[in-house]
Amino acid sequence: MMNKPSIAIIDYNAGNIQSVLFAMQRIGVEAKVTADHDTIRNADKVIFPGVGEASTTMAHLRNEGLDNVIRGLTQPVLGVCVGMQLLCEHSEENDTECLGVIPQKVKLFQPANGEKVPHMGWNKMYDLKGDIFDTRQEEQHVYYVHSFYVEEGPYTVGLTDYVLPFSAAVQKDNFYATQFHVEKSGSIGEQILQNFIRL
Amino acid sequence: MYIIPAIDIIDGKCVRLSQGDYDQKKIYNENPLEVAKEFESYGVRKLHLVDLDGAKAKRVINYPVLEQIAQNTNLEIEFGGGIKSDEDIQRVFDSGATQAIIGTIAVKEPDTFFRWLDRYGPERVILGADVKDEKLAINGWLETSEVSIFDFLKEHASRGVKHVICTDISKDGMLQGTSVQLYEKLMQAFPDMNIIASGGVSSNKDIEQLQAIGSPAVVVGKAIYENRINLKYFLPKNPQQRQLSKRIIPCLDIKDGRTVKGINFLELRDAGDPVEQAKAYSDQGADELVFLDISATNEKRKTLRELVRKVAEQVNIPFTVGGGISSSEDVSRLLESGADKISINSAAVRNPDLINELSKNFGAQCITVAIDAKQIDGQWKVHLNGGRLPTEIDLFEWAKEVEQRGAGEILFTSMDHDGTKAGFANEALAKLSENLQIPIIASGGAGNMEHFKETFEKGKADAALAASIFHYNEIGIPELKNYLAQQNIPTRI
Repeated sequence: MMNKPSIAIIDYNAGNIQSVLFAMQRIGVEAKVTADHDTIRNADKVIFPGVGEASTTMAHLRNEGLDNVIRGLTQPVLGVCVGMQLLCEHSEENDTECLGVIPQKVKLFQPANGEKVPHMGWNKMYDLKGDIFDTRQEEQHVYYVHSFYVEEGPYTVGLTDYVLPFSAAVQKDNFYATQFHVEKSGSIGEQILQNFIRL
Repeated sequence: MYIIPAIDIIDGKCVRLSQGDYDQKKIYNENPLEVAKEFESYGVRKLHLVDLDGAKAKRVINYPVLEQIAQNTNLEIEFGGGIKSDEDIQRVFDSGATQAIIGTIAVKEPDTFFRWLDRYGPERVILGADVKDEKLAINGWLETSEVSIFDFLKEHASRGVKHVICTDISKDGMLQGTSVQLYEKLMQAFPDMNIIASGGVSSNKDIEQLQAIGSPAVVVGKAIYENRINLKYFLPKNPQQRQLSKRIIPCLDIKDGRTVKGINFLELRDAGDPVEQAKAYSDQGADELVFLDISATNEKRKTLRELVRKVAEQVNIPFTVGGGISSSEDVSRLLESGADKISINSAAVRNPDLINELSKNFGAQCITVAIDAKQIDGQWKVHLNGGRLPTEIDLFEWAKEVEQRGAGEILFTSMDHDGTKAGFANEALAKLSENLQIPIIASGGAGNMEHFKETFEKGKADAALAASIFHYNEIGIPELKNYLAQQNIPTRI
């Protein structure tokens, strides 16, 4: 008998956990919201969501011992929004040391031409290279809500232009992450989630 | 490098063969013009059109398709397949082809080929060389020969042929990669010829390999139809199209679990089931949704949480919930139920510290402050309790304070405009947008599609919200978004 892949959504004080869970249900994938270290370690895939402020969230992860759990994961992990930022090295949001899985930096948008911050709404992504993308997502709109961004760098696998070209997505080893809200990006977001589940 | 998408025609339909085998035919579209137009919409400049019926019949058959595409698009068309006579080639040009691709005749009747080359010039006559194991193949791949491609091209180069499409028929339609090494050798042997690669492209990587050897162009067929490569990736980029989209937000006023719509904030009418509507709006391309609960009691608000949960389960775009929120606990419950953002209104005016508290606890990105205002003696004054209670608070001062206290977004409803269908309060909106750094949602007054354009251009709004015109189907969301895109408003379609 084939077992269905087990998907763990890391439960912490992130605002979009429910939305991620519902998105998984919509694509017909069962997932479990959990903070249990062993359940997370033993899952086939792990989703690391995130909405909130970086330093509080990092402090929470450390208190719960989840920081080391996440760093040590070897199965495919998908960080979303603040989840992506926390996988990076450092965030300018309250000068926060992050998990350091992806050696890139998180910076605050410095609007040059009257752009609004937070960056809120639908923007196209382009130059997609990552394994969680296929050709259908190139130059398609996805949904963003954020004031901080991950700089373009060696692990960037997709770009979006807002104020400057920034990392729409990053990928390093078994860690994948999107700045946009994959769980709220319509059918394009669902395609990406499906691609992640198939990894 | 140019990407030249291919359309192969049998019986007037867009098909693909595998290795030129007519028995291994797959119909991709009944209407080749539709396909050509789609390519054009991506920014494609040139089309590779092949008459497979013509190749088999040894005379051009599918002129009508060529004419249709030539007349209804601005694409350059290189046409091949069945061009065997003076009449064929002349009619191909008369039908709108930019260039004619000559294959079999060039092998079998070199004199005819060179006569055409002289008559129409090297820019209009493309030599079509089908190759297998570096040997020529002819007649739509139905026959093979013993002529070396290098010897063949050497003669043609000396006679002035400039453009060659070289198709490796062992690769064509197989999606197993291109003959990069052959192309590289040919390009080195014939540096003055424009050697266009064709056959076997299966991924972005194949195209990148051709780019790496300096290949000038590649014809791509099946890989496009089977979504193996995305044309948009390789076409000239248009940064204008990468701007943040202006959002279109249908708003559902909720009372006792039903959508209702008031006129000038009074008199309510039933406007349907919110979950069904939310799903329909998101399927139609709404960018976000707003639910404002106008139920009066806490008892009814519990119903709202259930509603939020149902919406969150079914809808794959963000939505905001407002109405009766006055504490962090209220917000927690709504976010746990699946809301992406919450909106506060009167409670924020009565207790401005609430904005700071919510922003700190949940992040600015999920805190929308809604402001209802109306002009009194030329001054915009904030109103509370769904517009029933006027205050002395100035709209612009309050909006600034709201931003400073940590709101992520402002939803401004002009009570003077709401329900009038005469357009948004663009002057006030523009002033808000210029004064503030956070996004502004325009609300109140939408009556037609031009009103949306105006509020994005004159009102400088980041998003526009409307209720009744969407509920009563006066404006369809797809229709509105197509209109805005045509008007050069950044729009998600």
